[in-house]
This record gives sequence, structure tokens and C-alpha cells, in this order.
Amino acid sequence: MLLYNRSRFAMTILGISLAYFLAAAQVGLLVGWIHTNSAIINHAGVDIWVMSKGTRTLDYGTAIPRQRIQQTLSVPGVKWAEGMLVGWVNWQHPEGKRITVEVIGLDNGNAGGPWRMSEGDISAVHLPETVIVDELSRQALGIIELGQETEMEGKRVIIGGFSQGVRTFTAAPFVFTSIENALDYVPYYRDDEISFVLVNCENAAEVKSVRDRIAMEINDVEVLTTEEFADRSVKYWMLETGVGITVIITASLGLLVGVVIMSQTLFSITQDHINNYATLLALGFHQKSLRSIILTQSLILGGGGITIGSLLFVISCQLTALSPIPLETTPLVSTCLTLFSMLFCVAGSWFSIRAVFKLDPVSVFH
Amino acid sequence: MKNVLVCRGITKSYGSGNLVEQVLKRVDLEFSQGEASVLVGPSGSGKTTLLSILGCLLEPSSGELLVENSAVNFSDKSSLTEVRRQKLGFIFQQAQLLPFLTIDDNLSVVGRNAGMEQTDIDQRVNKLLDRLQLQPLRHKYPTQLSGGQRQRVAIARALLHRPSIVLADEPTAALDWNTGKTVVELLLEQARIENAVLVVVTHDTRMLPLFDRILSIADGLLVERQQTAATENTFYTETNLDHPPGL
Repeated sequence: MLLYNRSRFAMTILGISLAYFLAAAQVGLLVGWIHTNSAIINHAGVDIWVMSKGTRTLDYGTAIPRQRIQQTLSVPGVKWAEGMLVGWVNWQHPEGKRITVEVIGLDNGNAGGPWRMSEGDISAVHLPETVIVDELSRQALGIIELGQETEMEGKRVIIGGFSQGVRTFTAAPFVFTSIENALDYVPYYRDDEISFVLVNCENAAEVKSVRDRIAMEINDVEVLTTEEFADRSVKYWMLETGVGITVIITASLGLLVGVVIMSQTLFSITQDHINNYATLLALGFHQKSLRSIILTQSLILGGGGITIGSLLFVISCQLTALSPIPLETTPLVSTCLTLFSMLFCVAGSWFSIRAVFKLDPVSVFH
Repeated sequence: MKNVLVCRGITKSYGSGNLVEQVLKRVDLEFSQGEASVLVGPSGSGKTTLLSILGCLLEPSSGELLVENSAVNFSDKSSLTEVRRQKLGFIFQQAQLLPFLTIDDNLSVVGRNAGMEQTDIDQRVNKLLDRLQLQPLRHKYPTQLSGGQRQRVAIARALLHRPSIVLADEPTAALDWNTGKTVVELLLEQARIENAVLVVVTHDTRMLPLFDRILSIADGLLVERQQTAATENTFYTETNLDHPPGL
């Protein structure tokens, strides 16, 4: 039945593929945003984050005394700990305008720094007045080449390297440097202050107990595992800010429209053959036979469309991997999306089966 | 000859209260094995309604339908399907073959649905295609056939599973006179070979002399007319072909 009209078959598969791609792309954008706003946390390679109480996200870390690093190191189970400073300052664009950037000050181990470099080495952040910016921010910051000089907060900075794929969820590009350099640029931090203590545990299985011990030892801070901090950061950006909610609504609508189109496409292909089904009913074909025909048809069309749509999505993910707005996914998201899409395909089939079974077989006489 | 299909006091009404329209008024009929009947009447007289009830497609408002001496239970959908699957063959106005299957497959699928063995299906398909002169067309699709050829395939499909009853709804309506006559003659011939009850609804009174019985229906009332020599003579008078006699 499906291959009888090959062009109709091809158009149906194409329609389902594009509908799936639409849904996957919207969800992929959402996943990309989520990954973006927790990327530094997740790439830092640490187990625990110590921060001032009530810190909502990495971007809004506030000052805690640097001595918290030593206090943390004294807690049993802590393998090592180092600081990180986050601040917001003005960047002097070579064309004259000033833009806000988010400075990330790194400690000696560079934990929380860029995880992929396209030019230069991450150790450059420890050179005086030297910073690393991301390839994606070159244009926004007006940076052309390595070694270029400009000003941040009225003081000289030298471009010591370019990272790759370190996106920002805010409009402010990340600028990586050392804590010592950062303290020169961020005016509202004292010399003995940092924003976070990043901790690695001796035993990965004891992260939660170490977290609890640190929280007991140091009273005026909040201690979260990397997973908890990433979750908090994601929830803040996605659920407590307008932009996050907009992204969620857009993704949800895209997903809904995509799966409804898939469902409707499968429904309509059954409707195209409604007279044939009426004939089969009149000829004494059992409902289970018709049900299996329609379901098989839906599985072939839905499965084919989803497979092609997935391929399109994977290609798009690769093409956007280094763009400011990447399409990303996870095995769990992909599985859920496929199951959700198949569910709607089955729903489309179910509605079309209902329509077929509601047919009056007498209609074949008219 | 045994009665294969029996109607006892069949009525059919539509609507309710003051708006009830009685389409069939107490129809009593018996059809014997191998008997060919034609059902005629003006549009809206209840022909298709009666055919639908005989075909177990429509539940009567009252009365009883017996197929091979068993009362049909219209409230049991699966038993209705079973009766249609095993005991009935249908021929529709537009043939209604499945366009995505070859002629061969259009026939085989009905055999499989009726639970026939594949070897039996193959033999039966061959036999019917031979008898209806469709062998050269067996691998073609319905859209590649003429209207008359399609109706010949529909006859083969209706007879394939050896039903005891064959019902045809205006099988010649979409055909020209000569093709239509050939189709009806083939249908009668094949139904007689199979010893099946044949009931044909038609508007074309020129076909009447070909049948054993003429059933006339008007305003829901069924009247059986006798086949007369005059009717037959008129039928075969070529000058009258364009102006067929009414009943």
C-alpha cells in the first residue's frame, strides 16, 4: 500500500523527517542552552563547589575570604582545593564602545578554565595582564590576533590565547585570566577575596559526605556538589529568568508542533485510503487485520521519518558545534524524544484506526 | 433446493418520533441455492437498504435474517464479520478493487482472509481468471484495466472463497450497455457454476430477462414479478434497447 504511490510515500517520509527534525532542533536548542549555562561548572573537573550562601549561579558568585581554601583543605577527605574569582567589568572595544564581560579568575591548577584551546596555552592566564578569550567572542570583543592589546576596566590587557566552544548564556563574553590578574580588574573584590573554592575529593564515592563535612566545618558558606551546583545554575537561568522561560516555551511549542505534524501526517495517509478500508471491512476483514496494517504502516513511516530526521539532526549538531547557538542532545534526551515521537505516531495511527472502525461498511454501496 | 438466505418480516426505519421514515416494510423473502434474482425500483425505494441488510452490513429494525439456516446476530460485530468473510461475496458499483495490489493479489488477499490454503487460493485464482478471461491481466494494477475488466475482477473476487451468497450493487452502472450486459452474463454464469444465491440491484430494466426472479421494490414494499415471455422478447428486440420497458 505504501509503495503504490511512491511520490506520496516519499513526501510522507520527508514530512515526518522534517517534523521530527523541527521537534529535535527545538529540544536540541534547549539542551544546548542548558549545557551552555552550566558548561564551566561541568567542565571544571572538580567534585565540590564552596560559595557564599544563596549563590544562584556561577555567573553571580560573590566574595568569600580566600582563607576558605585553606579551611577546606583541612577537612578530611579533601584531596585538593583552589579558588576561582568571577566578576563583571567593562571591556574596551577597539572601535571605541565598551561592553560588559565576565571575568573568570583561575587559580594555579586552572580549574574552571577553558577546556579546549584553538590558539595559545591555558597557562598564559598566569602571565601579567594576560587573558584568554573565546573564538566565538572575537568579533564581540574586537579581537583579531594573539598578542593584541586593549583595555579592561581602563587597564591594559594582552590576548594570550583563544579558547574554543566556551559559550556564554549571558550577552557578556567570558574572559579568562588568573585570580591575581582578575583582582586588578574587578574593582569590588579585595585582594584576599575570591568567589568560589573548587574541591576535589580523595574518594569519588565520598563526595556527599565530604560536602557535608565542609559545610559543618565552615559556617558562612554554602557547599554543593558539581551536579547540585550545575542543576541550581540551570534552574536559575531556565526557570527564574525571562530568557530561560522563553527558550523553554519555544522548545515546547516546537516539540509539540513537530510531533503533531507527524501524527497528523500518519492520520492523513490512512484517510487517503479510507474507501479501501471500508471495502475491506465490507468484505469481512477483521478489525485486528486492519489494525495491524495501519500500525505497521505507521511504524514504517514513523520509523523511517524519525531515522532520517535524526540523521539531519546529528548533521546539524555537528555543523553548529562551534557556533554561538549549538544544537546538542544527550542519550537520554534522544531516547525520550524518539519515544515521544513514536508515541505521537501511534496516537495518529490510533485516531486513524478509530476513524476506520467508525466507518459504516454500508458506505461501500454509496 | 434448500433456502440459503431467508428474510422474515424485515423492516428498517430511520429517525425517531414523528420523523420516523420506514424504508423497508415487512420484507419476507427466500432465496434458494443457485437462484439469480434482480432487485429493481426507483431511487430511494430501499433497494440498497435491503441489499445492505442481506449483506449483514446493516441491522434491520425488526425481523430476522437467516443465512444457511442460522439466524444472523446483528448485535455481534465479530459474528457479522465472520458471516461476510465466509458466506458472502460482494460486487460494488465501482468494483472497488484495492488500487495498490495487482489483480492477482486483489484476489489472493480475499482468499487468505477467508482462511483458504495457499494452494487452494492459487488453483481458485487460476480457474476464475481463466473463466473470466483475465489471465493476461493478472499482474496488472486496477488502474491499468478498463471498467468492464475491473468488474470482471470484482466478480472473481466475490466468488473466490466459494460464498453461498453473492450480492451485487448496480455492477453495470459505470459501464456501457454492451460491456454491462457481458458483465452480468458472466456474473450469472459464474454464480450458477458455483451454485450461489445471486442478488443484483440494478436500475437497468433491460437486464431483467436474464434473471430467474424479479423483485420490485417501491416505497419500502417488495413485490415479486413473474418473468414473462413478453419481457424477454422486448429485451431481445434491438430496436427497443434504448427504450427499455418498465415493470
